[in-house]
Amino acid sequence: MSCESMGCESHDWKSYALGEMDSPGRREAEAHAAVCPNCREELATLRLTLDTLSTLREEEIPRRIAFVSDQIFEPRWYSRAFRGIWSPNFAAACVIAAAILVHAFARPAPGQAAIQAQVDAAVIKAVAVVQANDAEQIDRAVRLNDDRYSEVYMEAKRIVRQ
Amino acid sequence: MIFREVEDRDLIAKARRGDVEAFNLLVSRWERRVFNYLLRLLANREDALDVSQEVFLKAYQNLPKLDAVEKFAGWLFRIAHNEAFSLLRRKRPETVLPPGLDLSGVRPAETGGRLLPLELSLAVESALKLLNDDQRDAVLLKIYQGFKFDEMAEILGCPVSTVKSRLYTALELLKAALAPSVLRGESS
Repeated sequence: MSCESMGCESHDWKSYALGEMDSPGRREAEAHAAVCPNCREELATLRLTLDTLSTLREEEIPRRIAFVSDQIFEPRWYSRAFRGIWSPNFAAACVIAAAILVHAFARPAPGQAAIQAQVDAAVIKAVAVVQANDAEQIDRAVRLNDDRYSEVYMEAKRIVRQ
Repeated sequence: MIFREVEDRDLIAKARRGDVEAFNLLVSRWERRVFNYLLRLLANREDALDVSQEVFLKAYQNLPKLDAVEKFAGWLFRIAHNEAFSLLRRKRPETVLPPGLDLSGVRPAETGGRLLPLELSLAVESALKLLNDDQRDAVLLKIYQGFKFDEMAEILGCPVSTVKSRLYTALELLKAALAPSVLRGESS
């Protein structure tokens, strides 16, 4: 039976052997190869060629690509500095440095003596208020007592006269 | 392979932000593949090494232009292909392809006609030199680097039909050159 009558031309064996054929195409090609000795031989020859090609030994690179050590590939200093700004450590260092600067150069806070004077003044003022309140309450109580005493005295005097 | 792609993606992202160490790691992962591709294409060790250097320098400079990170391999080999063919065009007058397959040094009668692995490897090396540059490039990208036809079309900058044509012609030549009877030194 000739290849033409068996439809051999419709099968791309190179594509099949190179793994580029889709699943339906592969199944169809395999079904055909099962009944076609010519295509089986063609496929076997292709596989043998590919197997032979795969024996080519991959060579070790004689020396490392110089990229690793070559300074010209290093980024510019400003690029490195710019990248560094975004690192958490650098940001934390900036915050601490800013706090130190603010602490060093900002206006000094009031001294301990001034604070003590303010506290003393406030205490004196509070004590004075309390004392004034106490004095007023005592005066009011004395007056009330005097009035009550006068009333009792007058009542007793009236009773004696009767 | 998936892990490698994931890691490559991470390294590429870092390298695009200017991380030289990440790019160095990327170079160390790909330099052997690129070097071997160029070695077979240029058939000269020093040229392959020099062009490998150029390829990675250009890759670093143009990394921000890489639009799809998952296409890094094809993009890198496209640079390698362009650099190699640029050199081949410059050196064209000096380049003389061998007129035929010379297996005179790889016919070991003492092994009963069977080639040792090293001899077979040399035979393949010689057979690849029978191909023209475009055919050899197609074989290297497909058989040794495992790219798909559409990826090869992008690397080579030509239609898939052209890729297949070059590759199929090359396979026919290689099939004849590497036939067992030829390797055993028998006349066909």
